Amino acid sequence: VGNKTHRITLRPTGVELRAPAGTPLRDPLFEQGVEFPCGGQGRCRGCRIQVLEGEVPSGATERDRLTPGELAAGWRLACQCTVESDLVIELRQWDAAILADETPFTFEPRPGLGVVVDVGTTTLVAQLLHLQSGCVLAVRTALNSQGRHGADVMSRIAFALSPGGLQELQQLIRRQIGALISQLLLAARADGREVRDVVLVGNTVMHHLFSGIDVEPLSHFPFNPIRDGLEIFTAEELSWELPGDVAARFLPCLGSFVGSDILAGILATRMAESADLIGLIDLGTNGEIVLGNREKILCASTAAGPAFEGARIAMGMRASTGAISQVTVAPPFSAGLKPGATKDRVEDARLQCHVLGNVEAKGICGSGLVDAVAAGLDLEIISPSGRFADGRSEWQLLSPVTLTQADIRELQLAKAAIASGLQLLRERWGGADPVRLYLAGAFGNYVNRASAQRIGLINYPPAQVQPAGNTALLGAKLGLFRRDGEDGSYRDLRRRVEHVGLSADPHFQDAFVQELGFSNRSHAYQEDIAL
Amino acid sequence: MSTLEELQEAIINGNAPAAKQLTERGLSEGIKPGEFFPGAIIPAMDEVGRRMRECEFFIPEVLIAARAARGSTDLLRPLLVGDAAQKPMGTVVCGTIKGDLHDIGKNIVAMMLESAGFRIVDLGADVAPESIVEAVRREQANFVALSALLTTTMVNMKSAIEALVAAGLREKVKVLVGGAPVTQAWAQSIGADGYGKDAVAAVELARRLVAQ
Repeated sequence: VGNKTHRITLRPTGVELRAPAGTPLRDPLFEQGVEFPCGGQGRCRGCRIQVLEGEVPSGATERDRLTPGELAAGWRLACQCTVESDLVIELRQWDAAILADETPFTFEPRPGLGVVVDVGTTTLVAQLLHLQSGCVLAVRTALNSQGRHGADVMSRIAFALSPGGLQELQQLIRRQIGALISQLLLAARADGREVRDVVLVGNTVMHHLFSGIDVEPLSHFPFNPIRDGLEIFTAEELSWELPGDVAARFLPCLGSFVGSDILAGILATRMAESADLIGLIDLGTNGEIVLGNREKILCASTAAGPAFEGARIAMGMRASTGAISQVTVAPPFSAGLKPGATKDRVEDARLQCHVLGNVEAKGICGSGLVDAVAAGLDLEIISPSGRFADGRSEWQLLSPVTLTQADIRELQLAKAAIASGLQLLRERWGGADPVRLYLAGAFGNYVNRASAQRIGLINYPPAQVQPAGNTALLGAKLGLFRRDGEDGSYRDLRRRVEHVGLSADPHFQDAFVQELGFSNRSHAYQEDIAL
Repeated sequence: MSTLEELQEAIINGNAPAAKQLTERGLSEGIKPGEFFPGAIIPAMDEVGRRMRECEFFIPEVLIAARAARGSTDLLRPLLVGDAAQKPMGTVVCGTIKGDLHDIGKNIVAMMLESAGFRIVDLGADVAPESIVEAVRREQANFVALSALLTTTMVNMKSAIEALVAAGLREKVKVLVGGAPVTQAWAQSIGADGYGKDAVAAVELARRLVAQ
């Protein structure tokens, strides 16, 4: 083998690396931000990978940690592998497509370095910035280590309310962000002493758990936090490897569950300076909706559930290798298609499915789900009430992936939560429609806007709707370049933002039920269904 | 098709004006008020429940059907007053638990129970344990049906049961619980009498407990 180099392709990102034969796989992967939770000792399963192409023999340590089935399917622990051939591997940690942000922005140069962190319920993204040039020097992403204590904010709150729970969650997130910052500095070969400022953004629950604020008021109606303003900590009290007096600022929340990630979104979209009415929607398990301009800004949160992330869907999965991410109706007799080629899969011939990583389909992710239902409506396989028109219980999209009746119902619940929330804010604004509607977050960036309109998730034409990337991270960066004398409390802006509690609004549940269907034109939905 | 069969169809299809009209026609044909329930309303709502469970019907269809059923029962209830043979199956005090405002699921359960012949006292959403105790005492209730949609609010179901115990009313009522985060194990752990995974299960459970 000698000093031959091998090519390593990472899925789902498509990043290609080169490493000399015999290199421990952990070295190039660590450079890419892969975490080794037990320090590469083979004691945990945190760094497991699936070898899609190439040869990686398994060792005794892996036989202890992985089942024979997993080993046969190509699963390995990255910390135990060496590079002996060209490889295509999929990283378990990267199941979630995590969005960083590279949007250019205007700023006033300052000396030193700054760090921004988007503290998501599911994922964390951290960037190291050169404050003089505004350049991003390094990026690190990770799954939020609090995830083991619950996937969504409500189960995180439930855990925080158990004895010792809040301290446990606070320690986990503080330690993990500290480690991410150390990794950023290492990756950029930068000196920690140069760091001047750290800005963190996240929803209200993340804000409270990081700051150690009691989440009990967020556990029940009316969901009003006691203290949700700017929180400042020194690197010393956080035990981060930075000069002790560096301040870490968790930016203030906007009301109830709407946090500083949305405040950052308002900064990033320049909504507060706009003459036109602008909308911003973060499509997640907890959907946040903002509608405003330079006069007034209204915001709300609505529980959409995890369907957009592929959860609670029979063959749902995250947007990773093997996921159907796009579904379109094939034009008749289009090249390369053989209609009715397989008799038992007649429907397939009418669809074109894109599978991430160009492998055999394993499941369907949120964007594929929205497309599939839009296609089903166009083909009249799905009726406007959401029911399969011919009474079937499932629809085969691309073998072996099917869409079930229950999947459609889950999507109806999710889209109705968002659509009715936007509808209510619009009414509060006097019925005005936004000139532009920005979609934030990973799902919002991948979802097909025409399909989103077809299913009534976003009731605006694609031309009016714009994917906006990770607006939380971009806004946090703007937060790094505050003007002199500003502390990051955004008092003026917060005064202009009004939080609207949707659940307490009697119209909300009526609007929600109205939006459950796929078309308001169908007979059943013309009636007022409120009882 | 007989008038009762037509009424059954109208309710399943959620046609409220037709349901009302068919009830009036049935009464003029001499059908006794009490006969509408076993002859049309109960089988109609059982069918709606079956279709809901099979994912054939979703929330809007169920709500529309329940509204059609209510159009019929509103006409019949006043005619049943004083008719000893038409005593309700029991009185159910229902509500969404304190701290929680989700009431679509609770409304569907209440309407299904009502169509099955139970008398419903709906306390709404964000209901405190004290209000439940008071309503049970005032209404001489046989059942308490509680809903919670949040992991963080379902703990208040336990407080409600404890309040019933403290008021000496626990032995007088059967407590049924349900809602997305609620499980059979949770129901048992807080000392509830039953758990319904959906509205159909709640009706079956209530009927079974009445029969006991």
